[in-house]
Amino acid sequence: MPGLEFIDIRKSFGAVRALRGVSLAVREGETHALIGENGAGKSTLLKILAGIVSPDAGEIQLDDRRLSLSGPRDALAHGIGMVYQETVMFPNLTVAGNIFAGRELTGRGGVLLEREMRQRTRDLLARLHLALPPEARLEHLSAAHSQLVQVARALAFDCRVLVLDEPTTSLTAADADHLFRVLEDLRDRGVTILYVSHRLPEVFRLCQRMSVLRDGQHVGTYDRSAVTPDDIVRAMVGRDLPAREATTPPAGAKCVLRVRGLSRAPLVHNVDLDVAGGEVVGIFGLVGSGRSELLETIFGLHAADSGEIFVDDVRLARGSVRAATRAGVALVPEDRQRQALFFNLVLRHNLVLARAALGRSIVVRPTEERGFSTRLLETWRIKAPSVDVTPDKLSGGNQQKVVLARWLSIQPRVFLLDEPTKGVDVGAKDEIHTIVRQQAVAGAACVVVSSDLPEVLAVAHRIVVMREGRIQGELTAAQANEHTVMQLATAPVRRAS
Amino acid sequence: MRPLGRVWRIREASTLAILLLEILFFGWYLWPDSGTYHPFLNSSNALLVLKYSSIYGIAAIGAAIVIISGGIDLSPGAVIALASVVTGGLFVEAGWGLTPSILAGLLVGVISGLVISLLVIVVQLPPFIATLGAMGIIRGAGFIITEGRYYDLSRLLPRGWHPLGIPLDWWPPVVMIALAFAFQLITHRLQWGRAVYAVGGNETAAFFSGISLGRIKTSVYLISAILASVSGVVLALVQGQGKADLAMGYELDIIASAVVGGASLSGGRGSVIGAVLGALIFGVLRNALAQIPGATFYDRLIVGVVVIVIVVMDQILVKRGA
Repeated sequence: MPGLEFIDIRKSFGAVRALRGVSLAVREGETHALIGENGAGKSTLLKILAGIVSPDAGEIQLDDRRLSLSGPRDALAHGIGMVYQETVMFPNLTVAGNIFAGRELTGRGGVLLEREMRQRTRDLLARLHLALPPEARLEHLSAAHSQLVQVARALAFDCRVLVLDEPTTSLTAADADHLFRVLEDLRDRGVTILYVSHRLPEVFRLCQRMSVLRDGQHVGTYDRSAVTPDDIVRAMVGRDLPAREATTPPAGAKCVLRVRGLSRAPLVHNVDLDVAGGEVVGIFGLVGSGRSELLETIFGLHAADSGEIFVDDVRLARGSVRAATRAGVALVPEDRQRQALFFNLVLRHNLVLARAALGRSIVVRPTEERGFSTRLLETWRIKAPSVDVTPDKLSGGNQQKVVLARWLSIQPRVFLLDEPTKGVDVGAKDEIHTIVRQQAVAGAACVVVSSDLPEVLAVAHRIVVMREGRIQGELTAAQANEHTVMQLATAPVRRAS
Repeated sequence: MRPLGRVWRIREASTLAILLLEILFFGWYLWPDSGTYHPFLNSSNALLVLKYSSIYGIAAIGAAIVIISGGIDLSPGAVIALASVVTGGLFVEAGWGLTPSILAGLLVGVISGLVISLLVIVVQLPPFIATLGAMGIIRGAGFIITEGRYYDLSRLLPRGWHPLGIPLDWWPPVVMIALAFAFQLITHRLQWGRAVYAVGGNETAAFFSGISLGRIKTSVYLISAILASVSGVVLALVQGQGKADLAMGYELDIIASAVVGGASLSGGRGSVIGAVLGALIFGVLRNALAQIPGATFYDRLIVGVVVIVIVVMDQILVKRGA
């Protein structure tokens, strides 16, 4: 069969089985969606296709010929071009420099043919309807434009299969629209497109067929005409989503977290926020809207330029994590691997860290520490062989629960969570949501930042939408849906006069 | 006590095993053909090895702590020399008492450590550059003070001196062993030590956990420089010299000791006891090679090979353990 075929691909990372035998076929010339929740295995499959990761078993065939990929160069040589979610490009180089990076056109003696590369860049950009000078440095371009430069880079070398990994995550609606038109144009010219996303509206607009992955397995491949978005969601999640509970904030609860006029250049502007004890507030916004920076500033990681933060009516010292944690503020950061876990330390040491930072004891008490951390594993049902292993032996969901348990051990008054279910499986996701609700019931003020809209809708009483560091508006759980939230998130910024 | 789980106990035990094997090997290789006097395995040679290894060993304790925190310190050799110059100069030329001269020598460590932490934390220089610069400045200060002279402490120190009832030659190993155990305890039983491992393992996560990076980094560079100055003062007293060109190139041997003892230059791993055992491995090697005719020319080469072999073995061990 002409086209791209994955045959029984398997891959494990330590104890985590990322792909458990995935077989799926992409027909030549079609636009095919690859859908799945975070942690379903989409990224791993793409990395295997790009030659970055080699599979434990299975093979990839292109036009019935086995592809052996030993590196990113091989994928390109076979006409497979990748556009990554986070731009892996060179901000210090020009547009032309990026497009030809690593594959520069050279003349006799290895001299760079600058003029020719610029000309070819101009032609490529014209094909993509992009009015950009080839000499512009990438760092001066918008996120949307750099994304399109990646597409141009993939096309520069006769790519037959174009793979895009969640390309619209950081794009505005208008920019996304431009990208879709470019992709439709490419499809009409016979380019096979593999489009990875969990945004169903765009998938239904763009793709003829869609394959769903769940927990490292291929659930099914569907024709667009034969399914509804609800069918796809059910396939992604593996069950019917529970009807949203009647989520009304507890009446008459006292305000626990009060933020007034908080600013920190460049990403937080004059934010006011009140969260009552027992309330869960969801913060939604596109990448770069200042959501993480807001949480980090409340937690004291950055000193605010102006504004005040009160917890239980006590004002927090500016830019002091210590003051914040003493007041009961806890932050579960966005990237657990980079920002939360210590892979050189065993779980026991990882777990007691928050409590130790609060405590006045300067001595480590191993026996007490062991008992305390073992209890944490039990309480939060973290699957780990013992407290004496390092976090890399745990699955993503359990790693995330270690980070949660670390902060829950200080019994937070204000519980801030940044993308708490990124890259965890469906089961752990549910448990994490339950933990957040329990904390709220226990009287904590909870703030959940997530770009996963169903998650925000499921867990929050109230949704605050941010854009460019400002609060654009607020919706009650009843008012909020994909449409109203996205509208606020992408609407022009209302600047304070 | 189980400081950091399985891998660590294996790691320190394996460094000790290498040291013992090394001693056995040279004991066999240098076994005398006739007579009963063993040129290598005798108590006075053992003391000699311990005495000279201690100069590296004391400083290697600090180097290991810096490396565990994810940094690097190139200045200990220079600090050793300047401390010996200051102690020697004040004692011999300025007519200060011995105790104030020693304290002044240790002050060299305090000041150097503070300057280095200032460069790393406030000026935000990479530790390699900050300590490379500091190395030059500190070494240079020694030359400016001495102007090519050296201070001879030995003629002013009492003959057969037993400070606190311990013979002078015994002092370096006693100081090294005492400091090694003290810092092993500090790094594994105090929250501060835990924080040093955390910063070295994942600086961003340490920041997000509320650990004060500035405080931890200041303390590790301060400790490293103070231990180097201790080493310098001990050297000045035992060798009876204060000289600006003392301990030339020691910084690399000191780092090598820490690395052979299990410290990872990417931070987060290593131990103080391991670093001291590493210093002893090199001390034994040098001493034994000096007794094999012609082998001294191979000294540097063998040291280089040993560093690489031991670190490769360590990597294999860690992979197995993982």
